[in-house]
Amino acid sequence: MLSSTGRALKDSDGKPGSIQGSKEERVSGSIMATRSTEKHHSSVIKAEHFSFYYGSKMGVKDITMEIYARTVTAIIGPSGCGKSTFLRSINRINDLIPNTRVEGRMLVNGQDVYDKRVHLVNLRQQVGMVFQKPNPFPKSVFDNTAYGPRLQGINRRGDLQRIVEESLRAAALWDEVKDDLKKSALALSGGQQQRLCIARALATKPNVLLMDEPCSALDPIATGKIEDLIDALRNDYTIVIVTHNMQQAARVSERTAFFCLGELIEYDSTVKIFRNPGKKQTEDYVTGRFG
Amino acid sequence: MKVIRRTILDKAFTAITALPVVLLVAALLVILTPMLWRGAGAVLFEGTVEWRKMQLAEFGHGDEAGIRAEADQAQAARAAVYEMIDKFKSGVDAEQLTDRAKEIYRGFGKELQRKDVPREQYTMLRSLSREIRDKLETAFSSSDIGQMRELTNDVLQYETDDRFKGTIAREFFPLARKYQEAAATVNLNKRSEYARDLAELEQIIRDIFGPRPMEESPALAQFRYGATRWDQAQDLLFRLLWKEEWVEKQPGQPLVKIAASRKEQFAETELKGMFDLVENNLGRMLNPKWTFYWRYFTDDSTPGHYFGGIGPEILGTLILTILSMAFVVPLGLISAAYLTERTHEGPVIRIIRMCINTLAGVPSIVFGLFGMAFFVLFFLPLFGAPSKPCILAGSLTLAVLTLPVMIRSSEEAIRTVPQTYKEASLALGASKFRTFVTVTLPVALPGILTGVILSLSRVAGETAPILFTAGIAVGPVPKSLLQTTRTLSYGSWDMAVADKLAALVPHNQYGMVVTLVLLILCLNALAIVIRSRVLKRLKGH
Amino acid sequence: MNGHRSEQIGAPATGFQQPLVLTYGQDVKGYLFKHVGRLALLALTCTSVMAVLLIFLFVILEALPFLGKFSIVEFLTSTAWYPQAHQKPEFGALALVAGSVYVTAASLFFSAPIGVLAAIFLSDIVSFEVRNVVKPVIEVLAAIPSVAYGFFAVLVLAPWMQKHLGFATGTNALNAALLLSIMALPTIISVAEDSISATGRELREASYALGATRVETMFKVVIPAAHSGIIAGVVLGMMRAIGETMVVWMASGNASQIPHPWWDLSQSVRTMTATIAGDMGETEKGSDHYRALFAIGLLLLVMTFLLNIMSEYFLTRAKKSLGRS
Repeated sequence: MLSSTGRALKDSDGKPGSIQGSKEERVSGSIMATRSTEKHHSSVIKAEHFSFYYGSKMGVKDITMEIYARTVTAIIGPSGCGKSTFLRSINRINDLIPNTRVEGRMLVNGQDVYDKRVHLVNLRQQVGMVFQKPNPFPKSVFDNTAYGPRLQGINRRGDLQRIVEESLRAAALWDEVKDDLKKSALALSGGQQQRLCIARALATKPNVLLMDEPCSALDPIATGKIEDLIDALRNDYTIVIVTHNMQQAARVSERTAFFCLGELIEYDSTVKIFRNPGKKQTEDYVTGRFG
Repeated sequence: MKVIRRTILDKAFTAITALPVVLLVAALLVILTPMLWRGAGAVLFEGTVEWRKMQLAEFGHGDEAGIRAEADQAQAARAAVYEMIDKFKSGVDAEQLTDRAKEIYRGFGKELQRKDVPREQYTMLRSLSREIRDKLETAFSSSDIGQMRELTNDVLQYETDDRFKGTIAREFFPLARKYQEAAATVNLNKRSEYARDLAELEQIIRDIFGPRPMEESPALAQFRYGATRWDQAQDLLFRLLWKEEWVEKQPGQPLVKIAASRKEQFAETELKGMFDLVENNLGRMLNPKWTFYWRYFTDDSTPGHYFGGIGPEILGTLILTILSMAFVVPLGLISAAYLTERTHEGPVIRIIRMCINTLAGVPSIVFGLFGMAFFVLFFLPLFGAPSKPCILAGSLTLAVLTLPVMIRSSEEAIRTVPQTYKEASLALGASKFRTFVTVTLPVALPGILTGVILSLSRVAGETAPILFTAGIAVGPVPKSLLQTTRTLSYGSWDMAVADKLAALVPHNQYGMVVTLVLLILCLNALAIVIRSRVLKRLKGH
Repeated sequence: MNGHRSEQIGAPATGFQQPLVLTYGQDVKGYLFKHVGRLALLALTCTSVMAVLLIFLFVILEALPFLGKFSIVEFLTSTAWYPQAHQKPEFGALALVAGSVYVTAASLFFSAPIGVLAAIFLSDIVSFEVRNVVKPVIEVLAAIPSVAYGFFAVLVLAPWMQKHLGFATGTNALNAALLLSIMALPTIISVAEDSISATGRELREASYALGATRVETMFKVVIPAAHSGIIAGVVLGMMRAIGETMVVWMASGNASQIPHPWWDLSQSVRTMTATIAGDMGETEKGSDHYRALFAIGLLLLVMTFLLNIMSEYFLTRAKKSLGRS
């Protein structure tokens, strides 16, 4: 049913507050995410009947789900199903697109981010994003990583150097670039660039990391490195990763949401979704019958 | 149509379409090449000693000692020419000689009075000297050589007379003798003809060599020196040797212009040697040397641009363009930033775009009218400045003229910045302003720079807007922004059309316009280079 | 690579440390910056709007007294332009308008067909590399200042015309028209070429596949498809020609007359632009003559404005027709 790629399905072993219990829960017909055993996981992001429209075209419709702290949540689904739209709504990077409309609420840390009073700068410094195609600035590796901290007002050379090193280490890139931080970011390979983007995002010390198909432009080896990275970060960050690669979702995430045609079909623990999906649509998708 | 006919038509068509481009390139060459060639003559030419003298005296350039030595040498070479002319003149110029004789007579009379000579002797001497004077006068104006000789010999009889010894009257005799000698060589009948031609010749000699060493320096710089350029000297030499005359080749037919040899004209006189002398020794008399007059671009010019360079014009152009850029670059950049940042095109944006397009279509002379009506007559007085044309008004006018160009090219440059940079920056929590300044702008900079350079080149070449707002043809180098200035564009127009003197110095005429064209071409080449680099970099993405 | 490196990462904040909502009081600087900044940007961007309004305003203001005092009908239909006449100055601008139209039309007569042919040459006949070399050369032509062209017209072309073509005077309508066509060509070529290229390969392939030759394809398929853009280019060239001042001032001879017979290009004419430029230096500010010149300027402004609108119309039509195909 599922092809393994050398990595066992993530069973969330050895982690505090595991969601082992939810495996036995039966998911009802509704699309409400299971909540009962996740008491020690607070919800960081909560969508309440959230809909997003591009002009008259629907992006996502009536999504209600909670994303828990220090969890890796994957969003899977066929192309055009709205997963990127949903992700990009969380940090409001969708604002760049003209003529959009929002219904419902998207709560981050209890605050509806589509409230007019929301301070976007603060929001985005705490909800970081990594994009599909690596997009480092045409600056040096150092300046890329230091960009975020500089925005936060950190200007002292020593502080910046420390943060840059920390972030690059966290992104598993330090060893490869430490000899020449002044090198242009565009000179790095695709995989290195993406890791740089991750380091750059980490440098602002966010709570949440949104990753929009971070490996789709990378080769398998680079992909593997990024997945290792996600693994290393999972205890400290809330990660939401959109991916069209089901195996990847199965490998890295603890919870998975399946979107289709703009609607949330099923949202549950990853094990459940892949081994014993509640909806036929989900099963069809994960078994590869469509999408 | 038969296939063959269609094929022929097709091939013909293909050939025809190549024609326009060939024509265009040909037109470009036809227009530019002669201008470049003649303009180059302003900077690269064979300059004579006169030129170096002029540079020293008018502009203070050059090695004084060396030039003085050179001038002396040249003068020495010319001395023979002057001698010949003087000698000939003294034989020809009756009036001058007569005046001299009269002068001597008067002087003698005064001397006698001072010496308190007894009355009898005074009257006698007076009448004698008068007699001599009259004889000389007749001799000078006579065309009969026999009569002349008789009269002068009569006068010369008194040469040894003691009564004239030690007085001014002694000068009668060398006068008579010299005339006798000179007149021997001259055909006295042709004297009036010679006199007229001599005047012409003397003028040409003055044009070639400048005023004589002892002569008073003329007021106008133009006349203070001889031929400063070798090509100019050659032209003058031709005029010296050949006289243009209109003759009737065939009766009843219109007159034809021919060149008559002056040497032939003066063949019967001593002066004929002068022509060969000048022709063969002009080099030594003028000492031409290849000169690279790079100071052409910094020197001021004498009135009418007769001598000197285009320094003030270049300065004026630079000041005007840089000042107008200072106004238009920030304004254009900010407008472009605003226009590109707006995510949806509301009515306000559409109105702004419409206005930018309208502005782009306004003719340059209307900008001149606007500049005068608004900036000079309305805006400046608001700030207490006199309502007169000045650099400030001109550059403001030019700024409004180039605003659309600047906005369009900046917008284009900003739009080429990949959206992902903006997204990445915003996602990291940067404000839109921060994102623009630290991410978008550096990437768009080469494109913006291209726009600035293109705007600059446009502004440098504009004449119509500054006609009534800042430009003048003749005037001092401006010391403040509230004064007018000369510019390359205005000056080129002036030298081509308005300035009558300009035709005498075609190299200066062309030099000015060629400098302008080269300046603009270089700027455009720079912009093209930057643009292609930008394209290469973008393609690498 | 394991999960126990939180100490080294320097631990992300536990929970959100920065408030997501800030009131005005808490972030005065930010809000001020944002709102005042946006207003300031808008204001600065609106300078272009202001500039256009001011131009129209001031030209109209200066011209109005003239239009009130003298008959507009006479202004537009009489050829008697004697503004400095002592007794009764006359301000008939017809000859001047006719002069502008005349040289513009003549220059288009040369430059429109040549421009379109050149555009075809660049888009269809030569390779991409050659096109990328030739295009900058043509742009160089566009960059040469009008004073330089005028220079050439007066000092080189005019004597040549007098000598070799036997014209009475070298500065005439033909001289001005020739130079104007050289100046308008780059614009026409550029816009037409863009438009012709944009029609796309499919269109041409369809025609060639049916056995048409190149010339047939061009004239029967491509040019009709690109006609809006080509017309826009020609209109833009027209705008350039009619608004040109220095070249016509130097090259046209400045005789305020309508050539007689009308097709005789060897006669001198006077354009609106040259009149303004030439007369303004000698007129007293505020005099009737001065205002008459502004009236001519207004006429010029209106004409170029209309041409501008026309070109915009054709350009939008061109874009639309491409969007569909």
